[in-house]
Amino acid sequence: MPSNSEAVLKRLANEALRVRRNVWRALHAAGAGHVGGSTSAADLLAALYFHYLNLRPEQPDWPDRDRFVLSKGHANAALVAVLAQAGFFPDSHLDEFYGYRTLMGMHPDIKLGGVEMSTGGLGHGLSVGVGMALGGRLQKRGFRTVVMLGDGELQEGSNWEAAMSAAHLKLADLTAIVDYNKIQQSGHVQDVLGLEPLADKWRAFGWSVRELDGHDMAQITAALDALPFAPDRPSLMIAHTVKGKGVSFAEDTHLWHQNTVGDEIYRKALDELGEPL
Amino acid sequence: MSAMPESAVSQAADQTRLAFGLAVGELAERDDSVVAISADSVDLIGLRGLVEKHPERVVEAGIAEQNAMGIASGLATTGMRPYLCGYAPFITARSMEQLRNDVAYANQRVVIGAAASGVSLGVSGGTHHALEDLALMRALPNMTAIVPADAYQAWHAVWATREIDGPVYIRLGGRVAEPPVTARDAAFRVGRADCLKDGDDVAIIACGCMVVEALAAAEALAGQGVAARVLNMHTIKPLDGDAVLAAAAETRGIVSAEEHRVTGGLGGAVAELLARENPTRMRMVGMPDEFAIVGPTDKVREGYGLSKANIVKNCLELLG
Repeated sequence: MPSNSEAVLKRLANEALRVRRNVWRALHAAGAGHVGGSTSAADLLAALYFHYLNLRPEQPDWPDRDRFVLSKGHANAALVAVLAQAGFFPDSHLDEFYGYRTLMGMHPDIKLGGVEMSTGGLGHGLSVGVGMALGGRLQKRGFRTVVMLGDGELQEGSNWEAAMSAAHLKLADLTAIVDYNKIQQSGHVQDVLGLEPLADKWRAFGWSVRELDGHDMAQITAALDALPFAPDRPSLMIAHTVKGKGVSFAEDTHLWHQNTVGDEIYRKALDELGEPL
Repeated sequence: MSAMPESAVSQAADQTRLAFGLAVGELAERDDSVVAISADSVDLIGLRGLVEKHPERVVEAGIAEQNAMGIASGLATTGMRPYLCGYAPFITARSMEQLRNDVAYANQRVVIGAAASGVSLGVSGGTHHALEDLALMRALPNMTAIVPADAYQAWHAVWATREIDGPVYIRLGGRVAEPPVTARDAAFRVGRADCLKDGDDVAIIACGCMVVEALAAAEALAGQGVAARVLNMHTIKPLDGDAVLAAAAETRGIVSAEEHRVTGGLGGAVAELLARENPTRMRMVGMPDEFAIVGPTDKVREGYGLSKANIVKNCLELLG
């Protein structure tokens, strides 16, 4: 397994910090939003956009680009943050989150350059990702498709239809990442409708599975560098994360799945996160 | 070549569902981006030939319509032209959220071939009848909804999808005969009704399997001195408003005829337009606001008045 240098990991961690700060910034501009699931995904998104995905921000419809679908669309603040950081659109757009006639609402909009699918209804993204991976294979384009799933989202049965078909179709160019922060809107996932044994379920569905710490940039990049985990199988990364990661009062509580973000809260959050390099 | 070729006529002259699959197979020969997606519907929809010749061009999603719909959307985003095939009752209602979000909201070029619509699976009962599918499609922005009157039009409709930059729903029949009512090489334009018979006493606006009944009704009415106009409204969305408004202005009333609930279907579409633009006396022949009884298709249709006789009755009542 290739290992990434301290300099690379430090650069990625800094991008992840910028994602978190931008999430709070966008949701402060909006007045409220999905802090918890956006910040739990920040390290994964930073690694994807600054280490793994093959993209051309200046040409978002480049046919051979890698595809990323944020199936847990309520984490859109993190997606637009990382897209802005990657140069898909000006940073100032983040201050227009939830605006009137915006392409930056609570959920991703395919009309915004860099967004591959309008998501938000849960249990949609993996099927769309299967279609994208198939399209790449049929056209011999060689691009890779990554879908990020929420944990609570996996309660939607459509995910399991998609999981079955991805393995049946031997889509090795398809990777799913579960942002496993263990908390959904109304409480802990295990109390609402438990997922365990999660890795066993996916293995039984024909996926090659790896579990990792979704905030450890060395582990994240090592897993991405190892894709696909097995020939002829889709790959699943179960990333153990902390909801609201980076700000103590928002961590590990369903109260920050979605909440209001006023001026004082915002200042406290930025203080805790600290300045990027 | 948009007219159904002889080779297809011999297999599918009275089956819109088979014409759809054969046309997709023909398109696939000419266009590398065309791909079919089956929800366990290969034989239902005439895809067996394509499967045997180019297996990689038919994605089998199994009995999993939600996933099939999402796959179709994902394929379309990569530049492929997916033709999704399934049973009308399942490929609409079962996967309605995927259809709304991933296909219509994301405005992807997905063509849905929905076989076994209406009460064509009569004995299967209400779980297998599709009598609200057009209402669902009509309510979706970006959607084009087509109801071919026969296999020849189904072929034309598939061909016409090449020029439509958005999702398309094509409503198809089941395993019951659908006799041809149009000329094989007749012009077909999406959104433009065919005037199959002119007349200025009453206008019958029909779609799908009711077009043949409408023509028969017009003939019977002619014997009674009533000149009925017959419009084949093969496109439900966008509706040919010009043809409807002309019929309203040039006749004394309108009778709609469809194998669908009158709430939300063709009759509803015509009535909504007329209420806005030119309130006109109307009768609606179609399924009432109830789940249909179970029985052989022809008897169920007859029982609900989806027939020549009932169209004639409604026309005469309207003319008073």
